[in-house]
Amino acid sequence: MRYTYRVLLLFLLIAQFQFSFAQIKRTILGNITDSKTGETLIGASVKITVGTSAVAMTNSYGFYTIGAIEGTHDISVSFIGYKTITQRLILSKDTRLNFMLEPGNQLDEVVISGTKNNENVSSPQMGLQKINIGELNNLPMLLGERDVMRALQLLPGIKQAGEGNGGFYVRGGATDQNLILLDEASVYNASHLLGFFSTFNSDAIKDVTVYKEGMPAQYGGRLASVLDIKMNDGNRKKNTVEGGIGLISSRLKVEGPIVKDKGSFMISGRRTYLDAFFKLSPNSSINRNALYFYDLNAKANYQLNDKNTLFLSGYFGRDKLNLVKIFGFDWGNGTVTLRWNHLYSSRLFSNTSLIYSHYSYVIQNFMDDSNFEVNSFIRDFNLKQDFEFSISNKHRLKFGLNAIHHTIAPGKMTATGSSSVNQVSYENRKGLELAAYAMDEWSASEKLKFVYGLRLSSFSLLGPGYFKTYDAEGNITQIKPYGAGAFVKNYLNLEPRFSASYRLSPFSSFKAAYTRNTQNIHLISNSTSTSPTDLYIMNSNNVKPEIADQVSTGYFRNFDDNKFEFSAEIYYKWMQNQIEYRNGTDLREKDNVEADLLYGDGRAYGIELFLKKKFGKFHGWIGYTYSRTERQVDGLNEGKWFYAKQDRTHDISLVGIYKPGPRWAFSAVFVYNTGNAVTYPSGKYQVNGRTAFYYTNKNTYRTPAYHRLDVSATLEGKPGKKFQSSWSFGIYNLYNRQNAFAINFKDAPNDATKTQVVRTTLFGIIPSATWNFKF
Amino acid sequence: MSDSTKNKNIKLGAGLLTGFLSLTLLSTCEKAIDLKLDNVTPVIVIEGGINDLNESQIVRISKTYDFKEANRFNGVSGAKVVLTTADGLVVNYVESSPGIYKSPKLKGKPGTIYTLTVNAGGETYTATSTMPQKVILNLLTFKNFTLLGKTREYVAVIYDDPPGVPNQYHSIIRYKGKVVFDVATDDRFNDGNKVNDLLFYELDKMNPGDTIAVEFQCVDKAVYKYFFSMGQNLSETQPVSPANPPSNFNNKALGVFSAYTSSSRKALVK
Repeated sequence: MRYTYRVLLLFLLIAQFQFSFAQIKRTILGNITDSKTGETLIGASVKITVGTSAVAMTNSYGFYTIGAIEGTHDISVSFIGYKTITQRLILSKDTRLNFMLEPGNQLDEVVISGTKNNENVSSPQMGLQKINIGELNNLPMLLGERDVMRALQLLPGIKQAGEGNGGFYVRGGATDQNLILLDEASVYNASHLLGFFSTFNSDAIKDVTVYKEGMPAQYGGRLASVLDIKMNDGNRKKNTVEGGIGLISSRLKVEGPIVKDKGSFMISGRRTYLDAFFKLSPNSSINRNALYFYDLNAKANYQLNDKNTLFLSGYFGRDKLNLVKIFGFDWGNGTVTLRWNHLYSSRLFSNTSLIYSHYSYVIQNFMDDSNFEVNSFIRDFNLKQDFEFSISNKHRLKFGLNAIHHTIAPGKMTATGSSSVNQVSYENRKGLELAAYAMDEWSASEKLKFVYGLRLSSFSLLGPGYFKTYDAEGNITQIKPYGAGAFVKNYLNLEPRFSASYRLSPFSSFKAAYTRNTQNIHLISNSTSTSPTDLYIMNSNNVKPEIADQVSTGYFRNFDDNKFEFSAEIYYKWMQNQIEYRNGTDLREKDNVEADLLYGDGRAYGIELFLKKKFGKFHGWIGYTYSRTERQVDGLNEGKWFYAKQDRTHDISLVGIYKPGPRWAFSAVFVYNTGNAVTYPSGKYQVNGRTAFYYTNKNTYRTPAYHRLDVSATLEGKPGKKFQSSWSFGIYNLYNRQNAFAINFKDAPNDATKTQVVRTTLFGIIPSATWNFKF
Repeated sequence: MSDSTKNKNIKLGAGLLTGFLSLTLLSTCEKAIDLKLDNVTPVIVIEGGINDLNESQIVRISKTYDFKEANRFNGVSGAKVVLTTADGLVVNYVESSPGIYKSPKLKGKPGTIYTLTVNAGGETYTATSTMPQKVILNLLTFKNFTLLGKTREYVAVIYDDPPGVPNQYHSIIRYKGKVVFDVATDDRFNDGNKVNDLLFYELDKMNPGDTIAVEFQCVDKAVYKYFFSMGQNLSETQPVSPANPPSNFNNKALGVFSAYTSSSRKALVK
C-alpha cells in the first residue's frame, strides 16, 4: 500500500508541474510506416530539433506522440535501415503527422550515419537484445531453416540449452522461466521436431525483442526473460507473394491490402516434408509413416478511422509423428489475438487485447490389446488493457490491467474395450492471474533518465477438485474438496521495476537496474532434453510463486560515429521457491507429482560483453558471457549449494557477415561454450547381476566443451526485376566437430567386464540449400 | 499397457525420429570416449531378498569400486546377516563365497514384514520389506513390429492384475543364465485387468531355438521405487542429475532388500 501511495503522490506532483508551463503546448501525433509496404515501424524515433528539443519513439503499433510549444519546428524521423525524413512544421494546434519512411540499403552507412542512432546508449533500458529479421536471412542455420530462436542464442546472456532442445537459458533461468509471446499470446512449447526447430517462421515476423533485465511493468509471469515477438501486419500497398523451397521444408507467404492504405492481411505457412522420403519406399512399413510439422501464421488489420484500428492475428502449428499400427504422437500450439487500438485523446493511447492460447498433445497406442489415447492441454483466456499516456515529453506513463484464466488438463487416458488399459482422467486445474501495473519513463534531464514502475500480481488457484497438501517428506497430510469457482489458494506479489541511465557523453552511458519478477506457472521436467509431454503445473497449497530479484549495472559505449556498439553488463540475481525433484522421482505420477517436488533458493551472477559493428560491407558481433548459477535445496546434495543444470561458465559467439556487393552475402558463425554442470558416476557396483553406478555429489562434473563453425552464402537475383529469386547455401558444423548430445555409461557390448562412456553426437557436418522467391 | 511402457513408447518414438533424421540427412553417431571420473572412497552395497519359493535365500554384500576397473562382484566377507520377523522368526545366513550369504531352505509368506540386519565392518545396516500377495505370470508371448523395413521382436508378460489394490511388479529377462533386462511397473493404468506388458528389450541378439527365462516378481512400493529409479538411471534419456536409487537400507548403504513373490516362465525364441 505504501508503495502505491508514494507513486500516486509522485504522479500528482508531475501533473502539477504540467500547469506551470507558460507557453502553449501542443501535441504532434501519428503513425510511422514503411513507404513500400505500409508496415508500421516499431521503435522509430521522432525528434524535434528547432524550438524545443524532444525525442519520442513509436510504440508497438507504430504510433508516436510528442509535445511541442506553438511555433516553427523541424521534425526528423529516423529508423535503422531507412532514410531519415526531416520536415518543417508551423505548429498552432494538435496535429496528426503520419510519416512514411523509404527503406535504404539495410546496412548502408551513408543512410544510417546521419541518424545518430544511439538508442542503445541513450535509453535507460538495460538487458535488451533485438534481432534484425533482415540480418537473420544472412545467417547460416541448421538445414537452412531460418530460426529466430537460434539467432537469439548467439547473443550474450541467452544460452542454447543444447542441440535437440528447443529451450534457452537467460541469466541463470531455466527454460520455463522465459515468457514467450507471439502477438501477446503465450506460446507454451516453442519448438518443433522435439526441439530441433522453433515454432517461429521468420517470414511472418516483424520484430523480436528480448528483455533480460528491467522488464517493463506491462510484462510479468516469468522469472528470467521476456521474448516479445510481433508478427508482420501485411502489405498495405500491393499484393505480394514470397516463398522458399528448402531441403526439409517449404514456405509460402501471401500478403496484401484489404483496402489500400486502410487495412491489410498476411498469411504465411511452412511445412516440412521429411517423411516425403518414406513415400518413395514400396514397403508399407515405411511409406505409411508420418513425420512432419507445419506452421500457419495469419494476420489482418483494418484502420476504421484515425482513432480506431483493429488487428486479428493467429498462429497454428502442429507436429505429427505416426508409426503405422504402433504409435502416434502429435502436439502443437494455437493462439488468437484480437486487438483494438484506440486514441482517447492526442496524448492517451489505448490498446485492448483479447487473447486465446492453447497447447496440447495426443499420444496414441494402436496395439490391439493395449491400445490407448492420452490427451493433455493447457489453455489460457487473457484480457489485457494497456494505456500509454504522454504527460509531457519528460514523463510518459504506461498503465494497465491484465486477467488470465488458465486451465491445465494434465492428462486423460481413454481406451477401447479390448485394451488392458483403464480409462484414467486426472483433474483439470484452473487458475486466475490478475495484474495491475503502472510505470513512468522519466527524462529527468538530457543526461539522466529513469524508467520505474510497479506491477501488482495475484494468483488464485480455483476449484473444483480435490486438493492435496504434502508434508516435507512428500506424504499427503490433507485432501480437501472444493466446489467449482472456489478459491483454493491465493498469492499476492508486488514487483518493483527500476532502471536508470546516466549519459557520460553523447557516445557513452552508465546504467543500473533492479527488477523483481514472479512466476505462477511451472514446467516440470527432469530429463536432459525437453519433451512435448512435459507437464505444466500452477501454484498450489504446496507450490509457491517463484520470485527473482535482479540487480545489474552496465557501461554502454558507441564508437566511430555509432558504427560500433559496445556494452558490458554485470548482474546478480536471487531466486526463491525454485523447484527441484527428489532423487529417483517419477514425474509421470501426474496425480501426485507435487509429492516429488522440493523447493529451494537460487543465485546467479555473471558478466556479459558485447561488441557489434553495425554497418559496412563487413559487419557482425562478438558476444562473451561469464556466468554462474547455483541452487540450494533441503533434501538434495546434503542441503549444500550445487550448480544448477543450466550452469555454464564461458560462452563465446562470433558472427561475421560480408557483403561485397548487392548480390552476394557471406556469413560465418562460431560458437564455443564450456560444459554444463552434470552428475556423472564416481564408481560402480553390481545389483541384480547388472552394472549400477555410484553417484556422489550433485552436478560436480561438466559436459565436454561445445564448439562449432557454420558458414553460408546467399546469392540474390539481379535487382530490378518483378520476380526476385535468391539462393542460400549453408554448411552447419563445417569442421565436423563431434559435440556431445548425450553421455551415457554402459557395459561394452562385446566385453561385459568393461564399462564404457558413450558419447552421442546428433549433428556432424550438414550442408543445406534453399531457393527463395518473391513477386 | 502400463505407463512406463507408454513412456518407453515415447522414447521409442523419439529414438525413431532421431533415427529417421539420421537415415535421411543427418549423421547421428555414437562413440566410446575417454572421460576423467573421480575415484572416491568405496561404500557398502547390500542386495538381498526373500521370496515365496522354498529355496536357499541369498544376500549379496559388496563394495563400490572405481569406474575404470573391470566389472566384478567386489564381495565383502565376514559380515553377519540375520533375517527376522515380528512373530519371532530368526534366520542366520552363512557366507558361501566372498560376499555371498545364504540362508537354509526357507519359504517366505505373503503379507509378512521381513527385516534384514547386516553387520559389516563394524557398522549395522537394517532394511524392512513386506511381501505382497502373489500374482502369477500366466503366459509369455512374442510380439513384433515392423518399422522402416526392420522387424523388431519383443517378449510380453501376461497376468491378471487383482482389482482394487495397488500392485507393483518387477520383470526380469535372463538369457544364458544372465540378467539382460529388468523393468519395474505398476498397475496405475490397468488395475484389475488382464494385462499384456511389453518388455522393451529387443530380442535381436537371440537365435531361433534359444531359450529366454522371464521372472515375474511382485514387490512392495519401496522396492518398486528402487528399481524404477535404477531403470531411469540406465535409460538413454537419463535424468539431468541422476542419483543413487532410494535404498530401503539405513546407514547410507546402497542396494535394496526385497521380500517378493516369484513366478517364472521360459520361452523358446522362434
